[in-house]
Amino acid sequence: MAYPYRHEKETLVLSECFGDPSARTVAGWKRVGGYQGIARALEIGREATIEDVKASGLRGRGGAGFPTGLKWSFMPKNSSRPHYLLCNADESEPGTFKDREIMRWTPHQLIEGCLVGSYAIGASHCYIYLRGEFFETTQVMARALEEAYAEGLVGKDILGSGVDIDITLHVGAGAYICGEETGLMNSLEGRRGEPRIKPPFPAAVGAFGMPSTINNVETLCATAHIARHGGEWYRQWGTDKSPGTKLFCVSGHVNKPGNYEFPLGFPMMELIDDVCGGMRDGRALKAVIPGGSSVPIMSADDCRACSLCYEGVEAAGSMLGCASVIVMDETTDIVKQVRRMAHFYAHESCGQCTPCREGTTWATRILQRIEDGRGTEDDLDTLVQISEQMTGTTICVLSDSLAMPIISSIEKFREDYLALIRRGERVGAA
Amino acid sequence: MSEIQFRNPGWAGNTGEFDLTEADVRGTDYVGETQLDGGHPSVSASLPYMLVEKNPEAPLFEGPYQERFEKIRSRYPTARAALLPALNLAQELRGHISPATMDEVAELLGLSNAYVRGVATFYTMYNKRPVGRFLIQVCTNISCNICGADEVLAAFLEHTGTEPGETSSDGNFTVVEAECLAACGFPTCVQINSRYFEDVSAADVPAVLERLKSES
Amino acid sequence: MPDNGPRADTVTLTIDGREVTVPRGTSLLHAAETQGTTVPHYCYHPGLSAPAQCRICLVEVEGAPKLQPSCVTMAEDGQVVHTDSPAARRMRQGVLEFYLVNHPLDCPICDMSGECKLQDYVFDEGREHGRGREPKRVFGRDDFGGDVLYYGDRCVMCTRCVRFMDEVARDSRLTVVERGSRAVIDTFFDSGLEGASFAGNVVDICPVGALVSKDFLHKARAWDLDHTPSVCTSCSQGCNIELHTRDNLVQRLMPRENQEVNGHWMCDYGRANYEWMNRPGRLEAPMAGRGGERRAVDWKTALEHLFVRLQGGTGDVMVVGSAEASNEGLAALGWVGEAVGTVSARVFRSPRADDEEPLPGYPLLVRRRDLAPNVDGAGLLGFERAGDDTGAGGLEAVAGHDGIVLVLGDGLADQDVRFGASAGLFVYLGSFDSPAARNADYVLPVTTFAEEEGSFVNAQGRVQRFWPGLRPPGSARPAWLVLGALAAALQGGRTPASAAEVFAGLEAGCAAFAGLSYDAIGESGVRLEAVHG
Repeated sequence: MAYPYRHEKETLVLSECFGDPSARTVAGWKRVGGYQGIARALEIGREATIEDVKASGLRGRGGAGFPTGLKWSFMPKNSSRPHYLLCNADESEPGTFKDREIMRWTPHQLIEGCLVGSYAIGASHCYIYLRGEFFETTQVMARALEEAYAEGLVGKDILGSGVDIDITLHVGAGAYICGEETGLMNSLEGRRGEPRIKPPFPAAVGAFGMPSTINNVETLCATAHIARHGGEWYRQWGTDKSPGTKLFCVSGHVNKPGNYEFPLGFPMMELIDDVCGGMRDGRALKAVIPGGSSVPIMSADDCRACSLCYEGVEAAGSMLGCASVIVMDETTDIVKQVRRMAHFYAHESCGQCTPCREGTTWATRILQRIEDGRGTEDDLDTLVQISEQMTGTTICVLSDSLAMPIISSIEKFREDYLALIRRGERVGAA
Repeated sequence: MSEIQFRNPGWAGNTGEFDLTEADVRGTDYVGETQLDGGHPSVSASLPYMLVEKNPEAPLFEGPYQERFEKIRSRYPTARAALLPALNLAQELRGHISPATMDEVAELLGLSNAYVRGVATFYTMYNKRPVGRFLIQVCTNISCNICGADEVLAAFLEHTGTEPGETSSDGNFTVVEAECLAACGFPTCVQINSRYFEDVSAADVPAVLERLKSES
Repeated sequence: MPDNGPRADTVTLTIDGREVTVPRGTSLLHAAETQGTTVPHYCYHPGLSAPAQCRICLVEVEGAPKLQPSCVTMAEDGQVVHTDSPAARRMRQGVLEFYLVNHPLDCPICDMSGECKLQDYVFDEGREHGRGREPKRVFGRDDFGGDVLYYGDRCVMCTRCVRFMDEVARDSRLTVVERGSRAVIDTFFDSGLEGASFAGNVVDICPVGALVSKDFLHKARAWDLDHTPSVCTSCSQGCNIELHTRDNLVQRLMPRENQEVNGHWMCDYGRANYEWMNRPGRLEAPMAGRGGERRAVDWKTALEHLFVRLQGGTGDVMVVGSAEASNEGLAALGWVGEAVGTVSARVFRSPRADDEEPLPGYPLLVRRRDLAPNVDGAGLLGFERAGDDTGAGGLEAVAGHDGIVLVLGDGLADQDVRFGASAGLFVYLGSFDSPAARNADYVLPVTTFAEEEGSFVNAQGRVQRFWPGLRPPGSARPAWLVLGALAAALQGGRTPASAAEVFAGLEAGCAAFAGLSYDAIGESGVRLEAVHG
């Protein structure tokens, strides 16, 4: 059951217990097969667990889509230095609200995922980096972790295996950039959450200078299921390049927004029109941002034949990201929303790299001026050019993330901009 | 759309087709009483609360807070890594991070005070100034925005009689604009101290404020 | 690698069409430098860690998906690098435009103007017209304490200053406050850099006019300053410096890179200690006659008469040198003494601080206890330390000596007016007059190190040269020239025409300097140990 609505077409792997308060406990989680994944992993060993995850074809659910098994295999073997698993629970990409759902309904799902991941990469300590705003969710996680320690599922000699794995909850303090893996590491170490230059990569020099792997909440949860059922089992869903199921966070102008779980490759229009109960008030679809605010905007036309998998959304001119589908109807003021996104990236830029520090703010101010009816057509060229100057020139991709919606919106919704520039008319109300 | 079920117990978010209470959604029964000493060391950094009553003069750290601080330190290989949790703890007690607080935390962890200032100002959740008993953070990012977040923000400002960031004259409310709170399916999401209030519309605002006043 | 043999310790790559071979582990930025290409950069500084955040040093590396930061990308065999490809140029122009969006362009009142890297790079490659239409962000000015002022609006946020304080001074008093475009450099509220001993370096390494010196504020334009290589005289470390002069006044001292002495740095004590070089009231003409009979004479008269007196003088000679005098001056002083009799005392006095003060992140650099540049040179030349740690006392025997007394460079500030009263002949060579010189038969005006050529030996036993940056007042002359001429006349040798010639004599006569040529010392100095193996 997805939350807060369910649909018969859904495939429930991660979200089976959403909306079921009884699944929060160790007992509740075990009732649905919980902690069998880590038990089997401990039985088959590290290498075999990594092989299973490789075979599953699972790709990172945090947005970049990097194959998880491959990432795990980068960790040094036979190294005497401490290894760390970092769980990225700093969910803050606009449009994304799946990790909070996982953690508040099924905290043990994540704990199990962290155990599987830690075991596979040889980490004896896992830090779950939760975004600071998640007070309530964090407390659910905290109680679950205390329970897991008490039951001997976490800590010394887990499940009587002789393996020690500690898990620590670490709470952030409000910075989107700490969702970037190296920004998260700096933040965990008590520094400003500024992303680090790569190389060195985290598997060589990560948290506290030690080999580290960082995975998203949803990714680690998926590995708990893969560890339990094997890699091939996971491949029964999805496409060849995008195996498995995925939580789709649908927000915006649909009748039933929420999280829905489907095999990757699910058609976008079916998600909007059927699963989500169609557009609010029967209005027409104007645009969709398919992967959280950091990806190119799609026009209604782009959406028609789009299937929701990594390659499918790419073919439609955007990116799946973390599958956060923001649906906008005909009343949407695209210029205002792009300006709002620009404001967000300018606010969240760490400020290290010049193109991002200056570019995001400058773009925001130009967009604000256009929105205020004082723009010129030259401004659109300037916006596109500064967006290009912000693309591929910085340590992380925060400024690229703003460049994409700017460039795509000017390309696809130029008329909205021109209406404001030429006649001072806003297109749309919200 | 009449066939769509919409329930929102206690502004804990739309429960849709689920028959759930506010406590079910928030998990408060499961969480139960939380320990000031932080409970198990693994979760000792998982508080803090944003408390209604703040004491800017509270010592850093004494009694159960000292215990919590020591547990936090035990979980990291470096003293520096305890900086964010220590600042969180200080804010829980004092309500904001003043220059004096930065200096004290720096001293506790053996860091330079300028360094602590650099870190504290990087993160938006550290209040650099005192805030009201209720800090109301209204998400106005895209998913909430297209569903009317600007009106919700305006309503909070109107009904508290404040400008953004300003504290109401009765000391109760400080209203600020927030970036995405990761509850995009439940617009508009408003964080008030430790809690998320979801599916808040502009019309709900007076009732939300009434509830806060009655709780305090 | 085809085999398991050791990897070659050099790599060969192509930069802008030219093949370059550099040691393994060389960054592309340095590799480009070896073939004469300077890749623009702000955040990178050779004395600090490289955060690769200014993003202006990006270059195109064939096969890489994006432009690569040349400061942290290491040269590899077979790489083909373009520092000036259209993509790299476009990127630089873009980054420069971003800097200028909020930069106040207050170059006419900015101290950095003329040596500013933003000015230089924009002049080289910037857009002809800015596209920014929005009002500029204003941060204003902040007093960081000590000698440092911060102009936030000019700042390019390269964080060199923060890293200097963290990594080199190991005194994290600067930080980046806030984030994104609201970020500025700041201290901990009202406390700042006051009392920090090396903070002045942050002004030097600031690539723009964000951090400026209060002392130098609006004092001179960079393009009006003459730069003279020199050596700091404030302690026996001998930091390599430049004298920046205009209108025959030293306007500021700046460190000059020397990786074996001071790296890129110098201490604030040395940096601030230059006003004395500009002090008026100098001795400008030779004078003859004691007390009330003193009268100005020309050099020819003075030296001829002095020569006669010295030649006729006999017996016991007492010589007072100075650890602030050059090797050449001290050597020539010794020669004169030895030419006229038995030198029974050859001393110098020099103040010593209670403690030394190291630069933690660059341990070679220490502000030494000896607060004079040539303590070691004086020692090698046979001068013995006299007096106490304030540089006073210890001259009781000299003060009442009845033979010949020669004083060079010691101001005799602690001595009373009876000093030298019973001397048979008392010659005082100095830059300033002294009450204790009233009994001198000859007062000869000599130049300061800032006005002459010469060399010192620092605490590491390193001989370092300095050059004249100021014109001497009146007819003051280098001590080596005055004393060299006298010694030559007394000994029947050739009058030295340059410090190099004095040094050649010194090299021949003093074992410690044997085998060292003045030319070989060059601008970066030579350790005596290295000469003697």
